[in-house]
Amino acid sequence: MPETLASPLLSPQLLAQLERLELVSRKIFRGRMKGERKSKRKGQSVEFADFRQYVPGDDLRFLDWNLFARMERLYLKLFLEEEDLHFYALIDTSGSMDFGEPTKLQFAKQLAASLGFIGLCRADRVKIETLGTSNRKPGPALRGRSSLWRMMDYLEGIESGGNVSLIDGVKNFCLRNSGKGILVLISDLMDKEGYDKALRFLVAQQMDVYVIHTLCPEELNPEVKGDLKLIDCEDDDVAEVTISRPLMDKYKRTLASFVDGAREFCTRRGMSYLMTSTETPVETLVANYLRKRGLVR
Amino acid sequence: MLLADFLNTLVWWQWGLLALVPPAILALYFLKLRREPLAVPSTYLWSRAIEDLHVNSLWQRLRQSLLLFLQLLLIGLLAFTLLRPGWEGSKLEGERFIFLIDTSASMAATDVGPSRLDDAKRQAIGMIEQMKPENAAMVISFSDVARVETPFTNNRRTLRSKVELIEQTNRPSDINEALRAASGLANPGQTGDPNNPLDNPAAEAMPATMYLLSDGGFTGAVNFRAGNLKSVYLKTAGEEQANVAIVAFSTEVNPEKPDRVQAFARLENYGAAETTVEASLFLNDTLLDAKKVELPARDDKNKLPGRSGVNFEMQEIESGILKLQIAEKDHLLADNTAWAVVNLPRPAKVLLITPGNDALELALRTDEAQKIADVSTAEPTLLESKAYADQAAEGAYDLIIYDQCSPKTMPACNTLFIGRVPPAEKPAAAPAAPAAPAAEAAPGAAAKVQGWEAGPKQGPPIIIDTDQVHPLTQLMQMNNVLVIAGTPLKGPPGTVTLVDSDIGALYAVGPRGGYEDAVLGFDIITYTANGEREANTNWPRRRSFPVFVMNAVKYLGGVRSSLASPSIQPGEPAVLRTATPVANIKVQTPRKDQFEIPRELQNTYVFGRTDELGIYDIREGTGQKVTQQFAVNLFDSRESDLTPADKVTFGNEDIQAKSGKQAARQELWKWLLLGAIGVLIFEWYIYNRRVYL
Repeated sequence: MPETLASPLLSPQLLAQLERLELVSRKIFRGRMKGERKSKRKGQSVEFADFRQYVPGDDLRFLDWNLFARMERLYLKLFLEEEDLHFYALIDTSGSMDFGEPTKLQFAKQLAASLGFIGLCRADRVKIETLGTSNRKPGPALRGRSSLWRMMDYLEGIESGGNVSLIDGVKNFCLRNSGKGILVLISDLMDKEGYDKALRFLVAQQMDVYVIHTLCPEELNPEVKGDLKLIDCEDDDVAEVTISRPLMDKYKRTLASFVDGAREFCTRRGMSYLMTSTETPVETLVANYLRKRGLVR
Repeated sequence: MLLADFLNTLVWWQWGLLALVPPAILALYFLKLRREPLAVPSTYLWSRAIEDLHVNSLWQRLRQSLLLFLQLLLIGLLAFTLLRPGWEGSKLEGERFIFLIDTSASMAATDVGPSRLDDAKRQAIGMIEQMKPENAAMVISFSDVARVETPFTNNRRTLRSKVELIEQTNRPSDINEALRAASGLANPGQTGDPNNPLDNPAAEAMPATMYLLSDGGFTGAVNFRAGNLKSVYLKTAGEEQANVAIVAFSTEVNPEKPDRVQAFARLENYGAAETTVEASLFLNDTLLDAKKVELPARDDKNKLPGRSGVNFEMQEIESGILKLQIAEKDHLLADNTAWAVVNLPRPAKVLLITPGNDALELALRTDEAQKIADVSTAEPTLLESKAYADQAAEGAYDLIIYDQCSPKTMPACNTLFIGRVPPAEKPAAAPAAPAAPAAEAAPGAAAKVQGWEAGPKQGPPIIIDTDQVHPLTQLMQMNNVLVIAGTPLKGPPGTVTLVDSDIGALYAVGPRGGYEDAVLGFDIITYTANGEREANTNWPRRRSFPVFVMNAVKYLGGVRSSLASPSIQPGEPAVLRTATPVANIKVQTPRKDQFEIPRELQNTYVFGRTDELGIYDIREGTGQKVTQQFAVNLFDSRESDLTPADKVTFGNEDIQAKSGKQAARQELWKWLLLGAIGVLIFEWYIYNRRVYL
């Protein structure tokens, strides 16, 4: 592994760990190009699968002449098709993602880089986009390990801001990317308009959707006290609060119901939901949690 | 009374200042509430949390501004405290009040805690607290004497401190003096005759309400006229009383066994239940004997206590202090101990002045008489001498017996005159002419005296009766005595006839200042003109003669018949005598206070501070040795009977008792202040810990 890869996003140890993994989709997708992935569809490859009787119109190139010689019947050799996988990572770059230590955005980038690297290693088609990505300038579609640099560069270039609502971002993404594949949405879902409409777009996409709900410790366990004027970093909305025990309890209950609501929403619609804190290391998240969810193998 | 009653303690401008405080707090609070800005990822969750809390927003706002709320509560509590809320006790009526506080022995009873007097003082202070600024009050404490603790004043602090300083006494109760003091200002300048139209008051009458804080343990004041004085009797006593008292304690030599001494005590039970008490007798604090005494319960119908006696027999005691104690936890402890002092018997100093009287001299020379008396004999010529005059004047003798003679002036001691009467007391000191030589001064001739008068000599008188009760004639059987000639006696007011005959009194005893003079109206021996002795009576040959002499020496010579010195009641003056005349004596009270008592005219020392119960030590002159002791005991059935009176009678008015329980004002301000302090601590805690409800 070249040492120049030791970018802040991915450490060499992580890369070594990730190399052994591959992305898994629970759905059968048709890749556009041949990949390293055995498809459940029969097709053209070197891996033999079965025979079947010839029917007129079949490609003559796949006839088994040896068998015809022995049995004087025409059989067609069937091979497992190997195909590629489309992997999309959609990163929320709203202002709220700029909180936490490391920031949620940094965490999201690391996660996207990790998963993208796995995809690149397996010759999958990897596309990383943000909610703010405009339709005119879509993110690069990457394939092959050599594209790691481009992916890294692209990720490094992502910055927070450009307050695009979750709905608009997801809608645009869906318009741009109609193909099937795995979509990992990394967001804090903190959108005043709600997350449900946005996620519905993804349901319609028939993608294998993973929602990684990223929250920072400031949101999970806010350590604030006194009389405060809370200012929303995105829309400068102001909430005046006097921190009290019932308010804190209420906040935590609200947070819990928010997370539960999101989880239930995703589960009902066949999406995988994973709530994570930025405190969880990316390698743990990938190697343990996402493995259990079946995203990586 | 459910509604609290307020006493305003501030004037209007002070209230105005106080009213400015809450707005000031509010202003400070809003100035202070500059919320600290804090950027957060999203107010999304916060807004939702706040929205939920806003459902019951008023309470939430209160919660949010808890500190403000607490500060306002604190100010509110303090302002409320300044209003002095409380519950009025019995309403004070009128504008001038007199608080009569009983301090007699029964007020030490603990049937209301800590004691009746303390309860009375608490009630009085409660009423003083209720006084309005324009009201005035005076405080009088009384036992058998009254003491004006403070005259009319509206200074509540003075009144309160004076009431607090009132001390318990062991004296009996007598309300008359206190009533006179109390009515003095209400009914000024009365001569006491309500029907006298000229009896104009010297000053304007000031109607007043008199609050009597007592248990009613006194006889009513029948002659009292209330006039402008309105009386309220606040009964200060508990619901139930239990008391066992020693009401008498004395010691006597057992007449049958002269070497044994008996101690008698009478116990009374004033409680409603019959009881058994243990009476222990101590000699100089060493336990001699103890006995159980059963006492019946008090008879409520006849208002008589359950009585019982106890007696102890012991070896002869030379001197010492006998203490009788009953082990009973009752409501009055003062009457559970009694003391008796057995002093060394002091022989009486007797001077017999006689021209010669064998029978009398023989009777005075018997062993018994020698034991109790130190007799010296002299001729009547002694009466002329200067030495006699000095000795008689300074009281060197306890008893002088004048047989067939009489002095010019009466000596400073008790006397017994035989066949003569005492000379008249001269108002002027100069002894005038009537020198009465023994020979010529016949009873008839001396009949001019003022005070004692002797009738003409008659004979023979027949003795009719002898007073068997008086100590001078106890055990004297006179019916076999013949007298040839005698003179009927007439003494000064207060004279008691001891031996009566058909011609009049033959033997009488009468008072003279602090002394007593006994006069026998007939001679025992007479001398005829030529100097021959003639018997006037056969009495010397009768048994009653030595008895007569012994009685006279014992009684008039001051020899006590009982072993113990007589007990003195608290507050009663103790009249003390010494063996030798000294200028002053020192008396030490049970509390070890020493008082020097100068000698009074008649060789007596009068000690008045007998308020404490117990043993008083007497030292003579400069000597350090305790020469005498005397005991002060309560011995007062009325005080020991703790049953409170339900009414008292002043004049012709019955005043029913009001229970004193509710008399005092119940103050709330202490609790309010405590609450305010609690609020303050709570506020400080919340402020520092940032703990919110």
